[in-house]
This record gives sequence, C-alpha cells and structure tokens, in this order.
Amino acid sequence: MLDRRAIQIAALLAMLALAASGARAHDEAKYPDWKGQWTRGNGPAQWDPSKPGGPRQQPPLTPEYQAIWEANMASQASGGESYNPQAVCLPSGMPRLMIAYEPIEIIVTAEATYVRSDHLSEFRRIYTDGREWPKNVEPTYTGYSIGRWIDSDGDGRYDMLEVETRHLKGPRTFDASGIPFHVDNAAVIKERIALDKADPDLLRDEITAIDHALTRPWTVTRTYRRDRAGEWFEHVCTEDNHHVVIGKESYFLDAAGYLMPTRKDQPPPDLRYFQSRK
Amino acid sequence: MRRQLGALLLGGALVGSGGALAHHSFAMFDQEHPVELEGTVQEFKFTAPHAFIILVVKQEDGRLETWSLEGVSPSALVREGWSRTTLKPGDELKLRVTPLRSGAPGGAWVTQHIHFRDGKAVVLAP
Repeated sequence: MLDRRAIQIAALLAMLALAASGARAHDEAKYPDWKGQWTRGNGPAQWDPSKPGGPRQQPPLTPEYQAIWEANMASQASGGESYNPQAVCLPSGMPRLMIAYEPIEIIVTAEATYVRSDHLSEFRRIYTDGREWPKNVEPTYTGYSIGRWIDSDGDGRYDMLEVETRHLKGPRTFDASGIPFHVDNAAVIKERIALDKADPDLLRDEITAIDHALTRPWTVTRTYRRDRAGEWFEHVCTEDNHHVVIGKESYFLDAAGYLMPTRKDQPPPDLRYFQSRK
Repeated sequence: MRRQLGALLLGGALVGSGGALAHHSFAMFDQEHPVELEGTVQEFKFTAPHAFIILVVKQEDGRLETWSLEGVSPSALVREGWSRTTLKPGDELKLRVTPLRSGAPGGAWVTQHIHFRDGKAVVLAP
C-alpha cells in the first residue's frame, strides 16, 4: 500500500517537473537573453551621455525650471548639494536609476521584467502581463511601469521591450547636476530597450522624459556593456554615508562623526533647540 | 605631512575613474587645488556608498591631524584590483587628494594618485 502511494507521488512530481521545464524552455525561446551584469556603457554619469555634463547638457527646460537648475549648479560650484536627493541616500528613482552608477541586472519573466540596481539597492518592476493602468496607484520613486514586448523583425522571438512609467514620487533629478523635474511629479517616462543588432553584449535604452518642467519631450539613449561573470555587491547607502544635508546646507562627517564645513565661512547648523553648555 | 600642489585640473581623473563616482556631487572637494598628504592609515573602511581612508597626518608643528578621505565605491575598487584588505592600519601612504573647500581635514582620492610612502604601488597593475 505504502509502496503504491510512493510510486504515485513520485510519478506526480515527475510530471510537474516536466511541465515546469517545458514552460521554462518555451519562455526562454521566446524572450531575449539579457542575463548578466550590465555596466554603464557610455562614460560619465550626466543624463545625456552624448553631451558634456553641466551647462552643455542643454535640457529643454522651461524658464522657471532653467532658473532652478542654474541655482542648483551654482550651489554645487560652491560645494553644496542639498538639491541632490542621492547625497543623503534617497533613491535615484526613474529615470535616473537607468544611469547605472553601479551595475544593473535585468530579470525577464513572462509576467514582468525586473531591473535590479546594485546602486542604492533599487528595484524596478515592469509588468508585461497585459494589464491596464490601475485607477489608484500610490506614487513611488521607481514609479509604476507597464511594458510590451515587440518582435521587431518577425522571427518569432521578442527583441525589444517598450515601457511606460507613471505615478512617480519626488524629489528626483535627472542627474547629479540637479536638472529638475516639475514638482507636480506628473512625469511620464517612455523607454525602448533592445540589444544592439551586431553586438549582443551591448544594450540600448532610448529614454524619453515627458514632464511639465520641459518644453518638449527629451530623448536620450543610454547604453550598457554586459559582463556575464560580474561580481554583485551589496550597496547599503546609509552604511557609512559622510554627506549630511541640513536645510539647504551640506556638511561632511569626519571619522568620529563630527560635522565639518564643506565651503569657506559656512555657518554651523541652527542649534536653537539645544541648550548650550557654558 | 601636507603639501599644497600647484593648481591642477583633476576633474577628468575624478569623473573618469571608476564607474561608480558621481551619484553625489564632488564639488565640495577643490579639484583645482589638490594637496599631497603623507601619513599613516588609521582605518580603511570598505563600505557603501564610498570607501574611506582615515589617515593620520603629522603637521609641521608636530601635531597629528586626522583626515577623512573619500574614494570610489567598494565595487569600483574591486574592478581596479582592490579588496577590503588592500590597506591595513599602520600602512604608510603618500597620496594626492582634492581637499574640502572649507579647509577642514577631509578630501577625496582616486586610485591613480595613491602609493605607499616608499613609492611602491598599492595594487599592481593586472
């Protein structure tokens, strides 16, 4: 009796394993191979990699937001970085996450594609299960992303992922120079992600930002280089971050945890709620 | 020992070295006026978001000053051949840093401008 039941269970497990492996084989044949570690492929980390960083980025900002950006750059020039959320370990969010300050991993499944970034341990979820936009979404730094797989050359295998991201939360900037998004956080980010046709270890992400701080949609193309054997790291930004922002002032912590000024003649923080020791 | 170097443009070195730089601005460090430091490693912190060298530097008047020196991320260091044991307390270093604009004893370093005090490379080129 016991033997017969054991045989039945073993047969059932074997059938389940066969079904699962069949499904995996089917999926792997249909979706592109984006496995491995992807590192930033086109140099420094300004938002538009085709132009030098700073003023020569020439983002199509409205006059109001151009003035905000210029103030951010002026602050930066004197050592400040209160405008930069990442200085205090806030997430990059979208689309800045795709700068890939540290390597990124792209995990493709039928229902969703996930982008995991070593930097700040960020994680994107791009739904590809055919869902519609939900009515109510709590905004997040990475936003809510819906993707659609494209078989652009008709060979029966998907080769491009088109993604739209909405419902973003702030504060976010495009890059470390402080190119701003509108404070309404109504940005829509569209992406077209695909491997280079001639080089399977080169990935491209054409990213278009549509935002009320911009006078027109702003499209840049970022690239990533594949390392199939790359080592993954844990990146916990608050582990030992020495950058401190209090109000609009930036300070730097010494090894013992004392605040140091970052610019000449910088005032100390306002200590009104502390009793001075005389 | 601290030695002021002539005005140099190190911006390219900082931005270009290691893929992990620049999630925050390095503008608080004066890249046009680097200084050369000689000192003893008190601690090498192989931590996120950026590695740190805590360096004790003897001043001309004999006083000891402790510098907090920020490098690239551990993962970027590993890609350049470093590990958490590359530097140890007591190691004698000679390095070029870009100091805080305020004059406080903090700064930033890159692997290209750091050697042991006897001139040996910290990490041999692969």
